[in-house]
Amino acid sequence: MNRIALLLRKDVLVLRRSPLLLGILIAYPLAIALLIGLVASYGSSKPRVAFVDEDNLPATVVLGGKRFDVGHTIDEASKKVKLVRLSPEEAKRQLDDGRVVAVVTVPPGFISTLRGMVRSPQLELQLSTGTISSRVEQQVQALVYSLNRQLQRAYIASNLRYVTLILHGGDGSFLGAPITVLGIEKAQGLLREMPQTPRTAQLLDFLHDARLALANTNDALSSTAHPIELVRAPARGRTWALSAEVQAYALALTITFLALLLAAGSLAAERDENVVGRLARGLVGLGQLVWSKVALAAAVALALGLAIALAFGLIIEIGGVTGGEPWRRLPLLVVGLVLAGGSVGALGALLGALAREARSASLVAVLVVMPIVFLGLIPSEVVPPAGWLSDALPFAHAVRFFRSALYDLSPWGAVLREGLWLVALGAVFGGLARLGARRLLV
Amino acid sequence: MTHSTPLLAARGAGRRFGQTSALEPVDLEVWDGDALALVGPNGAGKSTLLALLAGALRASSGKVERRKGTRVGWAPQRPAQYGRLSARENLELFARLEGEHDPRAAAERLLEAFELPGKAAPSANLSVGNRQRLNLAISLLGDPQVLLLDEPTAALDPDQRRRLWERVAALRARGGAVVFATQNLEEVERMASRVAALREGRLVFAGTSDEYDRAHVESLSA
Repeated sequence: MNRIALLLRKDVLVLRRSPLLLGILIAYPLAIALLIGLVASYGSSKPRVAFVDEDNLPATVVLGGKRFDVGHTIDEASKKVKLVRLSPEEAKRQLDDGRVVAVVTVPPGFISTLRGMVRSPQLELQLSTGTISSRVEQQVQALVYSLNRQLQRAYIASNLRYVTLILHGGDGSFLGAPITVLGIEKAQGLLREMPQTPRTAQLLDFLHDARLALANTNDALSSTAHPIELVRAPARGRTWALSAEVQAYALALTITFLALLLAAGSLAAERDENVVGRLARGLVGLGQLVWSKVALAAAVALALGLAIALAFGLIIEIGGVTGGEPWRRLPLLVVGLVLAGGSVGALGALLGALAREARSASLVAVLVVMPIVFLGLIPSEVVPPAGWLSDALPFAHAVRFFRSALYDLSPWGAVLREGLWLVALGAVFGGLARLGARRLLV
Repeated sequence: MTHSTPLLAARGAGRRFGQTSALEPVDLEVWDGDALALVGPNGAGKSTLLALLAGALRASSGKVERRKGTRVGWAPQRPAQYGRLSARENLELFARLEGEHDPRAAAERLLEAFELPGKAAPSANLSVGNRQRLNLAISLLGDPQVLLLDEPTAALDPDQRRRLWERVAALRARGGAVVFATQNLEEVERMASRVAALREGRLVFAGTSDEYDRAHVESLSA
C-alpha cells in the first residue's frame, strides 16, 4: 500500500474513533438534505389563501356574451395558490394566526361593475407579514392576470361578433335589443348595381378600405390587449430548475464546510501529535502528507455528497415533488464530489499548514468558509470583482459543476470547464500547502 | 569490518528559526559502536542536533551525511505517535511506513519487548511511562543501525531503563551506534563512550567520556 493510502487509512480510522465528529459527519448531510428537501417542496407548494365573497357571486356569470362558471374559472386561474372560501371574520382570524397567508376579498358590487365595462372592478388583497408575503403577492397577481386574460378573450370574442355582423350583415342583438345589419359586403353589391357616378365610386372605395381594415380587427384587438406577449422558450433542463439549484448549493456548501475543516484540522493535528518530524525523515514526504489530506477531504466529500444526493432523492420521491431527482446523474456527481472535495481539501491543507495547530486551523477554517460561500452567492453580473475573487476559489466552481450536472440536458461543456477549474485550483492550493507544510516541522 | 566513513556525520550543520539561532554550525561524527552522549542545559540545542541527525529537520547551514544504507531510528523527547490509535496500531502503521516485511509480527514483537498493552485503547490514554515506551518501540522499527534518543529514560521506571540500555548495548555489539541526549550524569558515565557538550547552541566540548569527566571535574574545581 503506498504511503498516501496508509495515511488516508489512518485518518479514516482516527475519524471512526472520534464519535462526536463522526456523528456530526453523519447527521450533517441528513440535516442538509432534509432542509433542502423542505425548501424544494416549499418552492412547489401552494400557499393557502382565503377567498372572501362579499358580492355573493352567482354560480355562472355572462360577460361579453360568454357564460362563465365562477367556481371553475377560479379553479382554472388559481394554479399557484390554494383558495379556500371563508367568511370575512374567519379569514381575518386565520390570517392572524398564520393558517392562511393572504385574504382575497370580492367586494360588494364587483360583478355589476364588471358587467358595466365602464371602470375596472377591484379585488382587495390582504397579506401576512411573513417572509413569503412577496411570493404570495406575486401569485395573487398571477391569479388576477389569469382572470383578466380569460375576460379579455371573452370581450374580444364579443367585439368580433359585432365586427363580423358589420362585415357580412345579418341578425344580432345590441344592449339586449334585436338588430338587423345590412353589412359592408351587401352594401358593396347594392352600390355596384346603382348607376356608376364619381360619388358611387368614392363610396365603393371607402367600403373596400373599410372591409380590409375590419378584416384585420381580430389581430389588432389581440395585439392591443397584449402589446407585448411573453412566450416561454422550451425548457432546456432535465429537471425543475429550483430543485437542481438547491441541490447544487447544498452539495457545494456541505463539501466546502466539511472538507475545508477536515483537511485543515487533520494536517495541523499531525503537528499536534508531534509526528511530522518522524514522518518527514524519509518515511513520508511533506508533499505526500499534504496529498493524503486532500485525498481524505475528497473521500469524505464523496461519501457525504452521495448521502445528501440519495437522501434528497428519497425525500422528494416520498414527498411526490417531481423534477430534480439525482438518480441518473449520480456518476457525474461522483466525479464532481471528488474534484470539489479535493480542491477544497487542498485549500484546507493550506490553512492547516499556515495555522499549524489543530484548534487554530479549525477556527480559521470556520472563519474562512463563510466569506468563500458568500462570495460565491453574489451574482458576478452585479458585483464583477466578487465574481473574479470567487472564481479563484473552489466553491463557485463546485456549484456550477453540480448545477450543470443535475440540470443541463447536455452538461458536458460546463462540467468539463468547471472540472478543470477545480483541478487547477486544487493543484495551486496543494502546491502552496506543500510549501507551507515546512512550518509544521518547527 | 572497518569502514572509512562514519555512520552519521554533521558537517557544519546548524539551524536557525527565523532570527533565532537554535544551533550554531556543528561538526560531529558517529562511528560504529559509538555511544555518544549529548549533554548541556535546557535550550542548549541537543534536541535540535538530534532532529538534524535524524533528518526530521533540515539544516539551515552545512549538512548531515549518512553512510549509504544506514538506517536511523529516532525517539524525540515528546512522544511522536497518534493518540487516537492503539499502541499496536501505531506500531503497525510505522512498521509499514518503515518497510518492515511483516508489520504485524514486528508490532507484536515490540509490544512484547516493551510490555505494552495490546488492547485497542487509544495510546493517548496510556500512562506517561507507557507512551514513552511506545515512542522508543517505534524508533526501533526498521532495524536501525543508529539510534537517536532524546532523554529516553526520563519517564521510564528502573527496570525499563535497564532493559533499554541492554538493547543499546546489543545494538553497539552488532556494530550499531547510539546518540542520546541526557541530563543524567550517571548515565553519561556508565553508558557513553564519547560526550558532546552544548551550551547556548554551540558545541563547547567533544571527546571521550574520560576526557569529559576530567574536564567536568576541573570546571567544578576551578
